[in-house]
Amino acid sequence: MSSFLDYLTLGIVLGSMYAIFAIGYTLVYGVLQLINFAHSEVFMTGGFVGMIVLTEFAPSRPHGFPSVLWMVIGCLSGMVGGAAIAWCLERVAYRPLRKAHAPRLVFLLSAVGASFFLYNLCGKLFGRTPIQVPSLYTNSVLFHWPGTSVEVRVNQVVVVGAAVVMMIALDRVVNRTKLGSGIRAVAQDAETAGLMGVDIDRVVSRTFVIGGLLGGAAGFLYGYAVSGQVVFTMGFVPGIKAFAAAVLGGIGNVRGAMLGGLLLGVIESFTVPLLGSEWIDVAAFVILVLVLMFRPTGLLGERLGRSA
Amino acid sequence: MLHRKIVKFAVPLAAGVLALSACSSNGKSGGGGKSGGSGGGKTVTIGLQGPLSGANAQLGINVKDGVQLAFNQFNAKPNKPFTVKLATSDDEGDPSKANAAATQLIQNNSIKAVIGPIFSGPTKASEPLYSSASLLSITPSATNPQLTTQGFTSFLQGIANDNLQGKAMADYITKKLTPKPTKVYVIDDKSEYGVGLANVARADLKADGVQVVSDSVPAGTPDYSGPAAKVANSKATALIYAGYYADAAPLAKKLHDAGYTGAVFSDDGAKDPQLVKLAGTAVNNWYLTCPCTDPTVQASTKTFATQYTSTFKTPPSTYSAEGYDEANMLLQQITKLGAGVSRQALLAAMKTADYKGISKEFSFKSTGQFKGTDVWIYQVKSGKITFLGNVNQLVGSAG
Repeated sequence: MSSFLDYLTLGIVLGSMYAIFAIGYTLVYGVLQLINFAHSEVFMTGGFVGMIVLTEFAPSRPHGFPSVLWMVIGCLSGMVGGAAIAWCLERVAYRPLRKAHAPRLVFLLSAVGASFFLYNLCGKLFGRTPIQVPSLYTNSVLFHWPGTSVEVRVNQVVVVGAAVVMMIALDRVVNRTKLGSGIRAVAQDAETAGLMGVDIDRVVSRTFVIGGLLGGAAGFLYGYAVSGQVVFTMGFVPGIKAFAAAVLGGIGNVRGAMLGGLLLGVIESFTVPLLGSEWIDVAAFVILVLVLMFRPTGLLGERLGRSA
Repeated sequence: MLHRKIVKFAVPLAAGVLALSACSSNGKSGGGGKSGGSGGGKTVTIGLQGPLSGANAQLGINVKDGVQLAFNQFNAKPNKPFTVKLATSDDEGDPSKANAAATQLIQNNSIKAVIGPIFSGPTKASEPLYSSASLLSITPSATNPQLTTQGFTSFLQGIANDNLQGKAMADYITKKLTPKPTKVYVIDDKSEYGVGLANVARADLKADGVQVVSDSVPAGTPDYSGPAAKVANSKATALIYAGYYADAAPLAKKLHDAGYTGAVFSDDGAKDPQLVKLAGTAVNNWYLTCPCTDPTVQASTKTFATQYTSTFKTPPSTYSAEGYDEANMLLQQITKLGAGVSRQALLAAMKTADYKGISKEFSFKSTGQFKGTDVWIYQVKSGKITFLGNVNQLVGSAG
């Protein structure tokens, strides 16, 4: 029982990171029906910007309130970095193609090209070896699961807490605000939404920025709390996982991405004791294939417009 | 209108292409050494294949700098018989990129011999090519034992192989740790090197009557919390991690978080200050074995360490001295045979050569396997990798 809770905790932590990362894929798919393969570099940017801000500006080993403050600053800077890159990506890699009514395949190539360019640029600028993210506090045990010896540490609470706050905020934005209804309208029928007075360019651009904010936060949390280091290729594997999570939950569906991310994290975590660590990817993708065989549109169905 | 569109596209595209080509063009010439004096006017080129980028690049850079220092010193001699040049080829430590990296060196006809590959996986992939080109490839660091059993004809392994390192780990665990562990956890990183080393350690531990728990965690795994929790839950009192530092570091942090308190052993792939830099205090008390000595400790390498530090602004690390030695061994043979020596003649001479380097003595069995058998052990103590000694001597040369 105690080891069950142990792996469940680890799975939820990993899963919440996947979830906020996956939302970026799903939002862009929702409005443009294309997979933003450069989103993994938004994640990487978030990790690097957060690392740089903490290394350059944060005092070493702050105590009490300043460590919380610097954690928030690190996360916010990661989000801003991610959003800035996502905005640039939309401007440089997608908008010109959209204006030229290029075929779908070209968007894909453009995204992959942008991704290559960005991560190699990062490798060139910051070196190709991993860089440690400074820690702001001792990652001590916060509490035990009631009645067991399973520990929950500060970092784990931070990741899950940040993810929950962001997911609730996003859900509000998509369902309750004018921008949210704009996003849903464009997702449902871009042409009609345009005729109704929705500024499609602005909606698309802001969708990228929202995805970038969450992707940057995911990158920061991953660099700070999950792996403790950043490297220019850090976005690749988590990017594929987050994309898989978005598909698992139903791509284009925000709540689906959240559910898919959490599920994927938990599945991966339980693969370790049940099958062995080398089967993590196999188990995750076998589940994905099985789900898609019986529910081709993912667990919660596709399309942002219809289901959200 | 159309023009503006094209410009909008072309500028970022061109910038991207430029940046990418800048990344890959550093493979062509790794010279950089000052060529003092006029020399005989002849130039000899030596190739180097290894990870110069990628997550574990530090190990490749260590070797490259050691080789570069040897070349700089040779070129600075007033009566040098020829000028030596270094041509590097980056395989990123990735077996799938090894063929391209080897081909780049083989097709350069001015290259007489190659130092490297640095890692075992890329070596296994590249050697068939080097063998068919009769181009000598001498590694300072690829320790997989199978490399000398595949019939490669132009490969020399300038280092004791992992049969010895795996045994050294097992010996140290069963003979030096108190209380003697009854259950040891062995993790490999699924690479040629990690699996090879881990399997030797597993077999030796079992032969010593120790219960072995195995796991394989592929290098680059995003999150080590699960594997670390599994180690902590297993109640094993010692752990061996066979892999490289870029993955050993996050594993160390997660082991610490999971509350694991047993002894941890890792290998030459993890023995680099980068490990401590990335993992911080979590890696304290880790044992690291290596078929390499510490160039800053041994008396014979002290001068080398000072020169290296003043040239590269960082002390020599794992395999720097070995790279330096192999470079000098090659230069000695080429000086003897003349700058116009063919690849085949140099290969034949190197196979039977015996060279007393600053780190150790280099001589090879007919398969290319290294004749020496020494393995050394280190321990991380308050943020520094400190030298403990020769494992054979520490455990009392028991068979």
